[in-house]
Amino acid sequence: MPPVLQTSALKIGYKNGSRTPKIIADSLDLELRVGELVCLIGPNGVGKSTLLRTVTGLQPKLGGEILLSGKSLEAYAPRDLASQVSVVLTSPISVGAMRVDELTAMGRFPFTGLFDRMSAHDWDVVRQTLEVVGVDKLQHRYVHTLSDGERQKVMIARALAQEPRLMVLDEPTAYLDLPGRVVVMNLLHDLACGHEKAVLTSTHDLDLALRHADRIWLMDEAGQILQGAPEDLVLNGSFAQIFNRAGVHFDPHSGTFDTQSGGLKPIFLEGQGLALIWTRKALHRAGYKVEEAWTPGCKRVRVEDQGGAYLWHAELDGLSETFPNIHALLQRLSA
Amino acid sequence: MTNSLKSKKGIKSNRLWLFGLFLFAVLLLFLLNIMLGSVRIPFKEVWGVLMAREGVRESWEYIVRNSRLPRVLTAALAGIALSASGLQMQTMFRNPLADPFILGINSGASLGVALTILGTGFVGGLFLPAANSGGEFTLALAASAGAGAVLALILLVGRWVKNPTTLLILGLMFGHATSAIVSILIYFSAPERIHAYSIWSFGSYSGVNWTQLKVMAIVILAGLALLLLLPKGLNALLLGEDYARTMGLNVGLLRFVILLSASVLSGAVTAFCGPIGFIGVAVPHLARNIFKTSNHKILIPAIVVIGAAVSMAASLIAQLPGSQLMLPINVVTSLFGAPFVVWVLLKRKRGAASFNV
Repeated sequence: MPPVLQTSALKIGYKNGSRTPKIIADSLDLELRVGELVCLIGPNGVGKSTLLRTVTGLQPKLGGEILLSGKSLEAYAPRDLASQVSVVLTSPISVGAMRVDELTAMGRFPFTGLFDRMSAHDWDVVRQTLEVVGVDKLQHRYVHTLSDGERQKVMIARALAQEPRLMVLDEPTAYLDLPGRVVVMNLLHDLACGHEKAVLTSTHDLDLALRHADRIWLMDEAGQILQGAPEDLVLNGSFAQIFNRAGVHFDPHSGTFDTQSGGLKPIFLEGQGLALIWTRKALHRAGYKVEEAWTPGCKRVRVEDQGGAYLWHAELDGLSETFPNIHALLQRLSA
Repeated sequence: MTNSLKSKKGIKSNRLWLFGLFLFAVLLLFLLNIMLGSVRIPFKEVWGVLMAREGVRESWEYIVRNSRLPRVLTAALAGIALSASGLQMQTMFRNPLADPFILGINSGASLGVALTILGTGFVGGLFLPAANSGGEFTLALAASAGAGAVLALILLVGRWVKNPTTLLILGLMFGHATSAIVSILIYFSAPERIHAYSIWSFGSYSGVNWTQLKVMAIVILAGLALLLLLPKGLNALLLGEDYARTMGLNVGLLRFVILLSASVLSGAVTAFCGPIGFIGVAVPHLARNIFKTSNHKILIPAIVVIGAAVSMAASLIAQLPGSQLMLPINVVTSLFGAPFVVWVLLKRKRGAASFNV
C-alpha cells in the first residue's frame, strides 16, 4: 500500500506576483503512513503552517511532487481530495448559534449533494464520530457555549466525520490548558493507531510531542526537516541543535527545556527520591550548579525523608542548619 | 438518547410554530396595508376586489388595484430581497455589520440617479418631471445602470482579489468616491433638483407601478432562485474559506454566485425603490436570534417571512394611516426598527454570542 502522503523534492513558499517567489523550504522528501501520528515541530516562523497548507492543497506548491495515496495532489477533484484529507486550522472559528451535531455534520459535505441531504449513513457516521471523540454528550449544545478544549474536540470530530485517510492539524493545542493538551494529543494518537488514520499535527508542546508522536518532523530555520522517532532525535542531538538558542537549553535527560542550565555557584546535594529531584530543580532556579561529588569548602544540602515528610539539612559556610521546606532553604541561601 | 431526541424534536416543532406565526403576520400585514392609508377601506370591500367580485365602489377598487396592491407587493418583495442579500453578505464577509450595500451597489445606483436628476443642462429638463413623480422607468433605468456597473466591477474584481476583507474595503472606498461625485453634483445643482434627488434617496414603495413591479419581481425571483442553490455553501463559509475549500467546495464559484445573487437582489430594489437601509442588516440578525440558528437551510425561509413582514410593517407605518401625510421608508425602518432590534438583542441572554455570523 502506498504511503498516505509522500512528497519528493517538494518546494514550498509564496508566489509573490511577478517577482521571484519567496521560498520557505526546498527539496523536502517526506512520508506519512496510516497508523502514524507525526508531530511537526520547530521554532516559530520556520514555515510549519506553510508546509501543512501546501500538503492539504490550500496553497500551491512551488515545485516538486505531493502524492496522496499514490496519486498526485493536483489530480484530485476538490470533492475527492476532501475525502482523503481533512484539517483543523489554528484560528478558532467564530460561529454563533450552531449546535455541535450541526457543526460535525458539516464534515459530511464531501459526500452530500448540492442541497446537502444527509442520508441515514451520514448521520451514523456523525454519531460514531461524536462518540469516538468523546463529545456525544455535548451534541445539542451550541458551539459558542463550549470551553476551548471542548470546541477543539468538536473541530476534530468535524474533521474525522470527513472519513479522511489523512488528518492535518495546525497547532490544535495552542489555546488549551495542560490537561486539555494531553487529552487532545491522546485522542490524536488514538485516532492514528486505533482508527486507521495518518495524523500530521504541528505543535509547540515538545513534551507532549516526545511522549505521543510515533515520528517527529523537526523543521529548522533553513527549512530543513529532520525526521525520526522522537527518541532518536534526542539521542543524535537534533533537538539540542535546533532549539538551543540564547538562554534556552534542551535537557536530554528529562526531555524538557530549561531556561537556565544551572548557575555557576557549586553546591553538593544528597538524598533520594522525589524530594531530591525537586530540590535540584529549585537549586537550579536559584542559580546553583549541583555537583556530583562533594569537595571540601563546598556548600552541602542533604534531604531527609521522614516517611512522607521531609527535612533539609544544610551545611553552609561551616554552620549546620535544618529547614522545614524548600522555600526556607532558598531564602537562607539567598540571604 | 431519548432525551436528546426529544430536545431535537422540540426545537423542530418550535421552529415550525414560529414560522407559522410569521406567515400569519405576513398575511395580516398584507391585508392591513390594503385596508389602511389615507382612506380606510373595509375588509369586506378589499376581499371583494381581491376576489374580483362585482359591486365594489369604483374609487376603492381603483385605489386597491393601482396603488395599494402594487405597493404592498413591492414592500414584500423588497423586504425579502434586501434581507436575502444582507444575509449573504454577512455570511460571506463573516461580518455582522455587512449589509446589501456594503460593496457599493447603492452607491452605483445613487450615482446613476444623481447623474440623471442633477446632471443638469443637457438631460436635466427632460428627467425632472419623472423624478418628481417618484420614479418612472427613467430613474429605475438610471439606477439599474449604476447598480449594474458596480455589480460588473465587483464580479470582475472578485475574480482576482481573493481576500474578502480587501474586497470589502474596496467596496467601501468605491462608496466614498461615488458619494463624493454625488456631493459635487448636489453642490452645483438647483434646489428643486436637489429636492428630487433627496426624495429618491429617502426610499419609497409607492412609486412602483404594475409594469415595473413585474420587472422587479422577475429579477428578484431570479436572485432568490440562485440563493436556493447556496445554503450548503453559505454554511461552509461560516467556518471560513479555508475550511470550505477542504470540505470539497469550489470557493471561487461559490463566491461568484453569492456576489451575483446578492447584488442582483439589492440592485433590483434600489433601482425601483431607492436605497432602503436597515432591513438588510437587521432582518438576518432577527432571523438568527429568533430561530436560534446559523444554519442557512433554516435561515433562508426564515428571512423570507421575517423580511416580508418587517418591510410591510414599515410600509404600513409610513402611510400614517388616517392622515394625508406619508413618511419616507428609510425614516420608518431606522426610527422604529432600531429600537426593536436593540430590544430583541438585549432580551436574549446569550445575544452577543449568537449574533456572531
